[in-house]
Amino acid sequence: MKLRFLPLLSIAALGLTTAGCGKEVVRGSNDPSIDAHALSTGLDKDDIQRALHETLNNLRAAPVMNEWRSTNPPPNVAIFPFQNSTSEHIDSMLDALLGEAETWLVESGTVQVISRERQTQMIREVEGQQNAVFNPAHAARYGKQLGAKYLITGKVSGNDERSEDMRRVQYFLFLQVIDVETSAIRWQRKTYVTKAIK
Amino acid sequence: MNALSKLGRLASVAGLVLAPWLVGCGGHTARTLEMRSALDAGNAKGAIKALDEELDVKDPKDLPGDIKGDNAILVLDRASIQQGLSEFSLSKRDFEAADKAIDMLDLARNAGDSIGEYVFSGSSGRYQAPPYEKLMINTLNMLNYLETRDLNGARIEARRLSVIQKYYRDNLQNKENPVVGLGSMLAGFTFEKSGEIDEALRYYDEALGFTGFGTLSEAVRRIAPLGQYRSPRIKALLHEGEKDDKAAPGLQGADDDTGEVLFVVGYGRVAHKIANRIPIGLALTYFAGSIQPHDAAAANKLAAQGLVTWINFPSLAPGRGKWDIPSCKLDGQYVQLEEAVDVDRQVREEWKKIEGKIIVSAITRLIARAAVGQGIQTAAGRDNVIGILASLGAQATLTALDTPDTRSWETLPARVAVARMRLPAGKHRIVIDARGWQRTQDVVIEKGGWQVVSLMALR
Repeated sequence: MKLRFLPLLSIAALGLTTAGCGKEVVRGSNDPSIDAHALSTGLDKDDIQRALHETLNNLRAAPVMNEWRSTNPPPNVAIFPFQNSTSEHIDSMLDALLGEAETWLVESGTVQVISRERQTQMIREVEGQQNAVFNPAHAARYGKQLGAKYLITGKVSGNDERSEDMRRVQYFLFLQVIDVETSAIRWQRKTYVTKAIK
Repeated sequence: MNALSKLGRLASVAGLVLAPWLVGCGGHTARTLEMRSALDAGNAKGAIKALDEELDVKDPKDLPGDIKGDNAILVLDRASIQQGLSEFSLSKRDFEAADKAIDMLDLARNAGDSIGEYVFSGSSGRYQAPPYEKLMINTLNMLNYLETRDLNGARIEARRLSVIQKYYRDNLQNKENPVVGLGSMLAGFTFEKSGEIDEALRYYDEALGFTGFGTLSEAVRRIAPLGQYRSPRIKALLHEGEKDDKAAPGLQGADDDTGEVLFVVGYGRVAHKIANRIPIGLALTYFAGSIQPHDAAAANKLAAQGLVTWINFPSLAPGRGKWDIPSCKLDGQYVQLEEAVDVDRQVREEWKKIEGKIIVSAITRLIARAAVGQGIQTAAGRDNVIGILASLGAQATLTALDTPDTRSWETLPARVAVARMRLPAGKHRIVIDARGWQRTQDVVIEKGGWQVVSLMALR
């Protein structure tokens, strides 16, 4: 091996060994930029806020919302979990998304939102103790049992691809309002989120 | 040579000599020795405790502060052992954290890693998980979700498995990995129980491409009329089924008063890697076929000098327990288990593919060390006694610090066997025994219901 390469090798070796030192814990309120960094291909707060901002703005102007505003007493609305058809364990973030939507609806004062604890009990009653998980096919049954006129739910599907130096997940989020009586979709809005490691 | 260039060269040499000290760690197998010893003694909790100490966490519920480096492999080890202890929630959490970290390491590997591996230590680069490890992460985590009857989580793991499988098949031309058979069988079961019949048939079709899934035939025949997916393999199976029905009509169907149990039994442990240090002359004898003529000539020259000429390289230790026979009893009656995958064989086959490259990199490091020694001696003056001693000292130090890459997922089961059977609805007792580890589980099967019961005996 020629010695003229030694300086370069030394720098490379030292660089390799000194990388990744000096960790510190940072508070988001002190450094808002930390929320902007994507750390994985899952959904994060920034993705949820972007998706909701667009979606709820659309719902605000939707005919079904106008109908709710003019209904007295306000109709009962149940919020059911998202159907996750992606390759990522994002259910907790999808719950957070629905929680944000629930807060927005409660604050709007246009509907009566049925508590989610009550819905969990209903799912257990409909599905049985051994299999007490939400089944989208039975959503109308839950809604009827809860006395809800409308259901708010959603689904998210994903396209996950991997190459030698990149992994990319494209999310397709759908939020919808379903009429319990007729099972008709009264409103639906889609948003896209793409995350990648490269 | 002017003073400045001499100084620069000395600084370069010093940098290269110091670099391994900054890495400051022993080999991976040294970190896992206590864990392996505990597992060998059948003490799974002791093994987790040993891993927690290595990960610098107080509780098995904690993840290490930094999971980006080699800690990811230790978290994988812990995930497997938690699964063996039926701590499925903790196992899920560890598998998922390690899955992301291993993926990140895999994608982040670059030329710098190769430079490190070829210059001063085999373990200096980022860890690159072999295909069977990546496939087993999602396969075993799917099992965790099935054990806890969380079909949503199991479907996510099945999709993750498909992404990796597609990547290996299309990009790396790695088509026939038998680990896929086990993963596809579990994915098919997941989608069948989720009511997604075509997706289930597609996965079952993949699994049937491998040996060890004879019990799938009954399930495929039962669900095929409910779906559209057909492949030559499935068509042949259905055709065979029609002939059997004519020969023996009245076989049990899905509409009777039965449910189903899937048994998954992993036992033994795959071969882990061990560090070896042998003289270069012996290495040239052992690995003559793997070494390029140019490298062989340089290495021969060094061997002829007879000074600090050792090469450090990893090799595979014997696996454990793969020849054992696990037993599985349902209400006191033995259940016939089928071998689904010999993971240990996969480890050995994958090792054979990369062994030559590893030996070459070990010899290249030896040549690099000799060059460093030569550089020190040249910088100090050819006949300078201190220079000669410093040169020898640097070579000896670099030899000592050259850590062979012994990183691997050490707590993978050596073999996995499966069985699937229908049984009358009601309460049943299942006892699985392998390598002295036992799981006794009472299950209540509802009509049309299902249960997955597993044991990972990593002894």
